[in-house]
Amino acid sequence: MLAAIDPFSPGVLLATGVTATAASLWLLLPRGQSGRRERTARWVGALLGLAALSAFVATGRRLGGLGEEAVFLIVSLVAVVSAAATVVTRSPVYAAIWFALSLAGVAGVLLVLGAQFLGVATIVVYAGAILVMFLFVLMLAQPSGLAPYDRVSNEPLLAAVAGAVLLGLLSLSIGRLSAGDDPATADPAPAVAVDALQADHVARLGGELFGRHLVAIEAAGVLLLIALVGSIAIVARTEEARVQERRAG
Amino acid sequence: MQSLPMLQNALIVGAILFSLGLVGILARRNLIVMFLAAEMMLQGISVSLVAWSRYHGDWGGQILVIFVLTVAACEAAIALVFVLGAFSRTGRLDAAAWQSLREATLGRVIDRELPASDTLPQKFPTLTPAGVLPETDEDELLQREHV
Repeated sequence: MLAAIDPFSPGVLLATGVTATAASLWLLLPRGQSGRRERTARWVGALLGLAALSAFVATGRRLGGLGEEAVFLIVSLVAVVSAAATVVTRSPVYAAIWFALSLAGVAGVLLVLGAQFLGVATIVVYAGAILVMFLFVLMLAQPSGLAPYDRVSNEPLLAAVAGAVLLGLLSLSIGRLSAGDDPATADPAPAVAVDALQADHVARLGGELFGRHLVAIEAAGVLLLIALVGSIAIVARTEEARVQERRAG
Repeated sequence: MQSLPMLQNALIVGAILFSLGLVGILARRNLIVMFLAAEMMLQGISVSLVAWSRYHGDWGGQILVIFVLTVAACEAAIALVFVLGAFSRTGRLDAAAWQSLREATLGRVIDRELPASDTLPQKFPTLTPAGVLPETDEDELLQREHV
């Protein structure tokens, strides 16, 4: 019966992809090895990662529509590859920079999906503000060179397997989505509603936001204010405590 | 493009980002990298939400992503304050520095001796000096208030 197994059937592709993902993440995660073994592991892990990626791309091709969407393929590869690099890079500063590249890829994906405002907002808010804040803290707190805790991971094997299994389950259920018989996928609406190419895309998004979701916007504004006040209050209190400690001691 | 395969491809990209973020937050020990991984999970969710919004021609997904962005900004502000506080107490950005807070039944993380890393110290490019060195008066340099 072995001959009956088609090596390119979706199930086999998915199983290969999940296994390769787990193995590659395990090899790539920092495990506190000596330099030479680490380099070898990194190469093997990168190759396995490429295999996993191509398995997932092949799954997508089988789902159809990936060939003509070359732009989508490119930006999503940028997003996914740099996301993997963020997770496995030893130096946290490089991790932050890889994360910025991953954000650029995600913004590209959002643009392809017809959310131009969100694509730009991702770049502005995440890469412009949040990431720079992360880098500030890193520069304040990071000792020179690689810290020992950057060279080891908590349970790299279990973490990699957990991530790969979750990914496999998610892709399995995504692959089973079919149009029509499922309420979630029934009735794809006409494309005009959220098309990014429309001239008044942002205006209509704003109209929706400040019309139906006005209360939620107010709540989000209050949340931002509270976060700002709260973070300043926490910093001020710890500074005060430190000064008093110094006086007492 | 308004099709089921397109939706599935975008959902798979979102799932990959989410799982990678999960691996990062489980495995890494640097607090900052853990937060980057958490933000990456949020990115995966955003991609999925926008894909659904596109498929159904509904604004709901995009609106939700805007709120995800808002909450992520708040979360980053508060979390970084806590990370800075933790750093000023322990002098490390290590999650295992706080393992005295763990469950009573869990074992302690014990760091083994790491093999020496043979990575070379980073070399930065230098510019070749050009022109003539300006004449400086050493006494004047010492007396300057601002350099």
